[in-house]
Amino acid sequence: MIAREKLNLFKQKFGPAINRADLTGENRVFVFVEPSALKSVCEHIFRDLDARYVIGIAVDDRPYSGTFLAAHDFAFDRDNILCSVLAHLPADDPRVDSISGVVPAANWAEREMHDLVGLEVVGHPYPKRLVVPDGWPQGVYPLRKDFAWNQAPEGFDEHQEFKFDEPPPGCTVVPFGPFHPTLDEPAHFRLYVEGEFVRGCEYRGFMVHRGIEKLAESVLGYNDIPVMAERICGICGCVHSVTYVQAVESAAGLRPPPRAEFLRTIMLELERLHSHLLWVGLAGHVLGFDTLFMQCFRIREPVMWIAEKITGNRKTYGLCVVGGVRRDLSSELEVELGQVLDRLETQWRTVLGAVLKDRNIRKRTAGVGVADASLVKETGLVGPLARAAGVAIDCRRDHPYAAYGQLDFDVITAGEGDVWSRLVVRAKEVLESIKIIRQCLAKLEDGPIGLKIEDELPVGRLGLSSVEAPRGEAHHFVITGENNRPRRWRVRAPTYQNLQGVPTMIKDQRLADMTISLASIDPCFSCTDRLETIELATGRARSWSHEELIRLARSRQG
Amino acid sequence: MSILSKVKEAVICLRAGRVTLPYPAQPRPTPPNFRGRPIFDASRCIGCAGCANNCPAREILVVDLCQEVRVLQYLGRRCTYCGRCADVCPEKAITMSRDFETATDHVADLGQRLELFMSTCQRCGRCFTPPSALDQLKLKGYRFDDVAHERWVFHSTAYGRDEPVVEDVEIELD
Ligand code: SF4
Ligand code: SF4
Repeated sequence: MIAREKLNLFKQKFGPAINRADLTGENRVFVFVEPSALKSVCEHIFRDLDARYVIGIAVDDRPYSGTFLAAHDFAFDRDNILCSVLAHLPADDPRVDSISGVVPAANWAEREMHDLVGLEVVGHPYPKRLVVPDGWPQGVYPLRKDFAWNQAPEGFDEHQEFKFDEPPPGCTVVPFGPFHPTLDEPAHFRLYVEGEFVRGCEYRGFMVHRGIEKLAESVLGYNDIPVMAERICGICGCVHSVTYVQAVESAAGLRPPPRAEFLRTIMLELERLHSHLLWVGLAGHVLGFDTLFMQCFRIREPVMWIAEKITGNRKTYGLCVVGGVRRDLSSELEVELGQVLDRLETQWRTVLGAVLKDRNIRKRTAGVGVADASLVKETGLVGPLARAAGVAIDCRRDHPYAAYGQLDFDVITAGEGDVWSRLVVRAKEVLESIKIIRQCLAKLEDGPIGLKIEDELPVGRLGLSSVEAPRGEAHHFVITGENNRPRRWRVRAPTYQNLQGVPTMIKDQRLADMTISLASIDPCFSCTDRLETIELATGRARSWSHEELIRLARSRQG
Repeated sequence: MSILSKVKEAVICLRAGRVTLPYPAQPRPTPPNFRGRPIFDASRCIGCAGCANNCPAREILVVDLCQEVRVLQYLGRRCTYCGRCADVCPEKAITMSRDFETATDHVADLGQRLELFMSTCQRCGRCFTPPSALDQLKLKGYRFDDVAHERWVFHSTAYGRDEPVVEDVEIELD
């Protein structure tokens, strides 16, 4: 077992610093280390063992173990192992060494650990506020267990403004966003511009952070969360619901029946189809080539219709519950799905035949927004962004979940790492997805679509799950808990890592390339911010003044 | 060749023709198993509150006016049309209709209110057999959700607050 070998490696090197290790299943490793050793263990895993950094998680575990938990997740892509390194921190002094110096990809994750749970990350290179709003009082940490889900903090300062950094000498500041025509969601970039060229930027996002994780661990139940998780993202919602249920299933040791796994695979690939078609269209739109935009959307529409027929909705499939799926696929719909794919393939090949040879598009995008293999490693970039830089990582192949282990498909890569490569990768992945769905339809066998869960889930187990979303790896971390809900649920959307690569990608580029560079990561700000659209404690219908509305909205911060 | 590409692109557009649908001038029917607005059937409902407990958006409130009368209030304002309520309902009293055109200038139009005549279950006050352990009845016995403010009342301190969101309702039984 490779997982055991890895564990032995750690033990040889760090022996006494390792307090406990859990191997749950063949490809999950949880190593509990001394807080003082966390940094060196992470460095060893990231540098010497060449693992990919996934995300950092802070947990308020005081009601259960009397300590805080800090965790860093890594992925060994070649060995199909997801590994979490955890450290218990004392409740009265939750300090942890920052690993961002040696693992740059951990930058945001560690800032978030401080903002939401209040861990003191010692030695962070840029310990600036990331998640909570500008007026949020110091020393109030919303993800702590003693902070109620519907509590409004004392001393919220309405008029507090965010303190931006000083631009480097000689540079002018050009604000980009929070509302910008090419961004459909709020995010603010302060670009430092010298003449025509961008020399750097500062990012301020998380404007739609509504605390869905808090809601999940205090209000919702295990089976409520999949439909809420789906609403984290307007495009790859199904990804988040599948990732969540898989994380819970991996924690509880459940394996859904094969038919359910195939149905999940089919819907995930349908989602990738519509997402990639949408992206190619939007990329065309951002470049000012609206014909491509129109044609992509025309070709995409039948995918939405078939999804609606299968699941009851175009976009929010409501597919998953823990242990299976909710709706079966009838044989008539199987046939119809096959026809939709055939038509889609013919039409898409025609479009590709034209677009991939279109010199105008190529000239506009080649060499723009370059993210090379070393940036991919350092910042933990995922998905088409990594593959376009020649880094062949794809969770479907590297960490097979659902039915992907039984399917045959190629991981598309390109070498240049620029916007053009990303376009090519996504365009070709559409054809792979079609191939995958066809194989699923051929291999789909009759059988149950869900487990019958007789008992409550075990408490205090850890679960990890990674799913290849259209934009890259979505990763969820779950600790199961009491009262039919998880104790902690951490969502890491692909854009969370990919956005951290943007400052490097746009550095020394022309200002005009900013939009397409940003669009080329297919950013999904809601995912990153983990949007929650459902308001649980709405007051009675009345009219609200601006101030009241803001207060109301902010009082819901989880 | 770029010129060739442009010609090909033009051909794609021309062959596609006009694809815009004449909606809403012509209605576009939704597929048979579409998940639209849930419709509650008072004649089937036994008032078990399974739907209310498993609605992720907390859209269904339950108030026990007295021993015999339970009110089930579906708000409809932030319903996600997920259909979980219809899944768990043991009596098939909820149908996910094909109706999605629910725009209104009066949000109360979307609500549904069921007044149910109850008899008492010896075990839990009301009864519900969950499809799985994960769909269990989270709040057992009598319920007094805050209909005036359209929200659930949590009778638990598991959420970090020592006092409940609204005061418990005193109920007089004769
Ligand atoms: S459809 Fe979903 S959100 Fe709407 S009432 Fe039913 S369970 Fe609640
Ligand atoms: S689950 Fe069905 S029977 Fe029970 S209260 Fe809801 S509608 Fe009535």
